[in-house]
Amino acid sequence: MTSHTQRIFTLAHHEYRSAVRSRTLITLLAILVVSTLASVYIGSVAHRSQVTDYQAYRDAAVASGLQKIAPSPLAPLSLLRGAFEYLQIIGAIIAITLGYLSVSRERANRTMALIRCRPVTAGEFTAGNLLGAAAIIATLVGATAIVGVVGIGLIGNDWISGGEAVRLLLAYVASIVYMLGFYALGAITTSKTKVAANGLILALAVWLVLVMVTPQIGDTLDMDNQVPGGLFKALNLSRADETTLLTHFDAYETIRTRIEWVSVAQHYQRFAFGMADVKERYRHHNLGWLFARVWTDFAFVLIVPGALIAGLKRIFRTQPTIPQGAN
Amino acid sequence: MIATIASHQLLSLRRQRVFAVSMGVLVAVTVMAGILGWSSHRTIIGVYDEAVKLLATRGETAPPNPFLLKPTLSMLSNMVIYITLIGALVAIVIGHLSVGEDKATGIGRLIFSREVSRTDYVVGKLTSSAIVLAIGMVASALVSVSALLIVNKSMPSGGDLIRLIGFYGLSWLYLMVFALIGMVTVLLSHRRSLALLSALGVWLVVTFALPQFTSGLRPSTALNPIIDPVSTSQTFFKVTANARPYSVAEQFKAAAGRVLQTATAESGGATIVRILPIVGLFVLLTLAAIRLVHRHDFSRSNLGD
Repeated sequence: MTSHTQRIFTLAHHEYRSAVRSRTLITLLAILVVSTLASVYIGSVAHRSQVTDYQAYRDAAVASGLQKIAPSPLAPLSLLRGAFEYLQIIGAIIAITLGYLSVSRERANRTMALIRCRPVTAGEFTAGNLLGAAAIIATLVGATAIVGVVGIGLIGNDWISGGEAVRLLLAYVASIVYMLGFYALGAITTSKTKVAANGLILALAVWLVLVMVTPQIGDTLDMDNQVPGGLFKALNLSRADETTLLTHFDAYETIRTRIEWVSVAQHYQRFAFGMADVKERYRHHNLGWLFARVWTDFAFVLIVPGALIAGLKRIFRTQPTIPQGAN
Repeated sequence: MIATIASHQLLSLRRQRVFAVSMGVLVAVTVMAGILGWSSHRTIIGVYDEAVKLLATRGETAPPNPFLLKPTLSMLSNMVIYITLIGALVAIVIGHLSVGEDKATGIGRLIFSREVSRTDYVVGKLTSSAIVLAIGMVASALVSVSALLIVNKSMPSGGDLIRLIGFYGLSWLYLMVFALIGMVTVLLSHRRSLALLSALGVWLVVTFALPQFTSGLRPSTALNPIIDPVSTSQTFFKVTANARPYSVAEQFKAAAGRVLQTATAESGGATIVRILPIVGLFVLLTLAAIRLVHRHDFSRSNLGD
């Protein structure tokens, strides 16, 4: 290992260890894991009886010598819908907190000047911080993934297959990148404000707009969401009728989808939901077919955090090492 | 003395532009709720007309327009969501700043070098938060009336106006709970930012986690004013449903829906029972804030805190 890599790993280790010591972060993580467990448990209990029903049908079909047995219509991964929603909302807050703590801790402890007086370049400092943050986020996402998969297996009595595991892995990689973007946002706003708490408020305001407001507008304007149970069902219209009718409302639908399009959180959700079989129309297809439908969402999830990380590197390069305030 | 502390706090919020920003946010979300309500309503009427034509070509009769049964105030149903999502966060920041600034700048030390009772101090701070949030709610109510006037081309009826006043009054109470959470967390924490994060944690639990536990509502459900009923027949809910009356976000949404007539009708007594836990939490948090201020050592406050 070269001294350059060694320095990056030392900084990453420092970042990881400091974050794990934060009680606030641990509390937020506990909220995330417990909420995930609750959502998986609620879905899995109902799923268990459906698995039993299908198994009974399958056994009866085999016993009667039936040649063609219908495949299971169940989608165990869809039970992780709530888990991904929690990563989208609470995961983003945790990542902002990580970014905020990363900068404010160095300021409050006055260690920024100490680190930078050693032979550490701004690039190494950024890389070290990002690597440490990525490791913490991966640990956190891994914890929710284990809780989710084991919950489905033990409570829902349905262990996921190899193919499903690959799709889930992709969804969790997207989750890590998505959260790294919010980490960079928290670190950038904290670095740019004299009082760290103001940086935190600013990052939370951006979070509110991207994660809460824009998806909410898109969701509220969705025609089918206007009546409990769905507008088109209430009007006794089929999917084909719905498509025909929507052609008369192109402008409305364009505005609605453009508003949703602005939000990286919405792209993350679409990609994760696609991979996790949440949308029925995406089920029972191979990974290639699925990826062809959601690759733009995946690209968006990569581009936005990528831009924020590039911004973070620039800010760390120009950030004064003398403390500007310790809040 | 209460009036002096409250007016000082109001001046401080005004100078920090927190007052203007809070008002701006609350008015902006009300305008947005009005525009969204109007836009979706208008489009759905169009969808219904097109559906009638489409079904007629097949010789089928269209079901009755689901929107004709909707109350006039349903256009503002998004406001219920914005109060729990955005209004609550604004209230947390107002409550947080009302005590946090005194701790950070050392003004707390100066205040208590004079003959000021600690209870007066809390009541003064609470009064200032109450005034700011009340002004915000009055501004939102005026915007709502204007939106209804523009869309319906007539003034809302007396009954609708009373319902609007009731809704914004209830919203003010709900926001006061979060202003108190902002105050209490800053009194419990050594660092301001950690206090802010703790308050945010409470908000996450109240808004997203509790409804999931007690009613099986996913986080995204919290973003939509129209909620599809979720089956809660599992044993899990038989236990957790006991806590549902204390899930204040759910109770607020349900009570607000009844006040605006956008939810299934229920007796006035049942709606009051929904509001009682919010009142109870408000009283509990007020007592906690008084106790914490009595015990807090303001002499240890400093700029770096």
